[in-house]
Amino acid sequence: MEELKIFFDKFITAGGYKTALSGLLVTAEIAIGGLIIGILLGTVIAVVKVMPKYKALPRVLDAICNVYVAIFRGTPMVVQLLIGYFVLFPALGIPIDGVIVAIVIFGLNSAAYVSEMMRSGIQSVDIGQLEAARALGMPYGMAMLKIVIPQSIKNILPTLGNEFIVLVKDTSVVSFIAVVDITKAFKAIGDATYEYIVPYLFLALVYLVLVMGITLLVRLMERRLKKSERQ
Amino acid sequence: MKDNNIISVRGLKKSFKKLEVLKGIDLDIKKGEKIAIIGPSGCGKSTFLRCLNCMEDPSGGSIYFDGVDIADQRVDINVHREHIGMVFQQFNLFNNKTIIENIMLAPVSLKLKKLRRAKVKNALRKFVNIFRKNKKELISVLQTKAEIVEEARETAVALLTRIGLLDKADVYPSTLSGGQKQRVAIVRALAMNPHVILFDEPTSALDPEMVGEVLDLIKEVAGEGMTMVIVTHEMGFAREVASRVLFMDNGIIAEEGTPKDIFDNPKNPRTIQFLKAVL
Repeated sequence: MEELKIFFDKFITAGGYKTALSGLLVTAEIAIGGLIIGILLGTVIAVVKVMPKYKALPRVLDAICNVYVAIFRGTPMVVQLLIGYFVLFPALGIPIDGVIVAIVIFGLNSAAYVSEMMRSGIQSVDIGQLEAARALGMPYGMAMLKIVIPQSIKNILPTLGNEFIVLVKDTSVVSFIAVVDITKAFKAIGDATYEYIVPYLFLALVYLVLVMGITLLVRLMERRLKKSERQ
Repeated sequence: MKDNNIISVRGLKKSFKKLEVLKGIDLDIKKGEKIAIIGPSGCGKSTFLRCLNCMEDPSGGSIYFDGVDIADQRVDINVHREHIGMVFQQFNLFNNKTIIENIMLAPVSLKLKKLRRAKVKNALRKFVNIFRKNKKELISVLQTKAEIVEEARETAVALLTRIGLLDKADVYPSTLSGGQKQRVAIVRALAMNPHVILFDEPTSALDPEMVGEVLDLIKEVAGEGMTMVIVTHEMGFAREVASRVLFMDNGIIAEEGTPKDIFDNPKNPRTIQFLKAVL
């Protein structure tokens, strides 16, 4: 019980919860920002991959996308963060904010994975759907956006939820680039008191609750999207 | 194209890799004609139909639609597809849209896209006109967004009333029977006011008891003077509705003529053989 008392002294009385809350906010920012970038960019990459490749431009784009996916899937997230924070952004002359770097890198990394999910999702939609839309005079992009992609998202929603969960947990490495997220906040509390059991168990609990919340959210969305299926 | 041909096909060829499916087809389709295409499976009749709206890109030859060669890669095919309706064997209603949305989606989205384009262009022109002596005229915008949607809704409601499915307007396609789906697919094509409708075996995926309702609707549309090209296995239907029947075999039109010519007095030995097998 001694440990609990030390933790709550630091966490509540000494105002440690403020750091923890702002850390939680940072974690959420990076995960949600990363997911949004990941889904948008991942969808674009997936569409490039499934595009008919008669002409030169789609082939060039396809090659670029392949290299992109190979790089971002082939190197560890932490390495990407370090390169982004210490090499890429300074070289581009952009004033560095760790959180922005983290959102961008997480987004780019996630896009590589989402693109593969989205591609399988698009391919799972019957080709007749695209043909019917094209036969009505809709251009390729419009047909994809209005007909094929909404249906493919429905198909891959569980996997997409998985990706978001991984993303949330992966944000715990951002302290490598001096961002104070929730992990860093609890580590600081532990460091200040040399008492780690309670802070780290509490931290694990926070992540667990977050992930369970997301799981619930995904399930609700799935049920909403299921309404177009036979009752 | 001169005279009143809606579609003129010249030397149409289509190959998949090394397999030549269409080996040079010539065909003129006049306004109001109903063409039935029959033939053994694998003879290229579906491929031919799908070439007519460039669902399959032709490998050679020309297809003149309203005077434009749509087989030419440089032509914007989407503009012409708006006037070429297509009905598929598998219905292909949009699963993520309700029945009424299925009918409204294409007319509304395409008109809204044009509206947005016109607005952007007008804004540009207005800006450039400030510096111009001879002011360029603005593109006239005839309808607002709300009017476009309202007009499409009225059309859709009228079409659904016509096929007796107005009560299904807000349900999803998965709750409809095959016959209902295909009837919706037909009115979805009609909602675009097409100049011609292509039917790709419209009854082949239906349960037998639902074939009748779909054929009745097609006959009704035919009776209103719509130009049609129908690939079908329903010989009785072809005989009744078609003004001309084409028998395709091995990538060419082996024989063509009035239904009477083809069904009662076929000349080509392949036609005779085929009809003997199916009738």
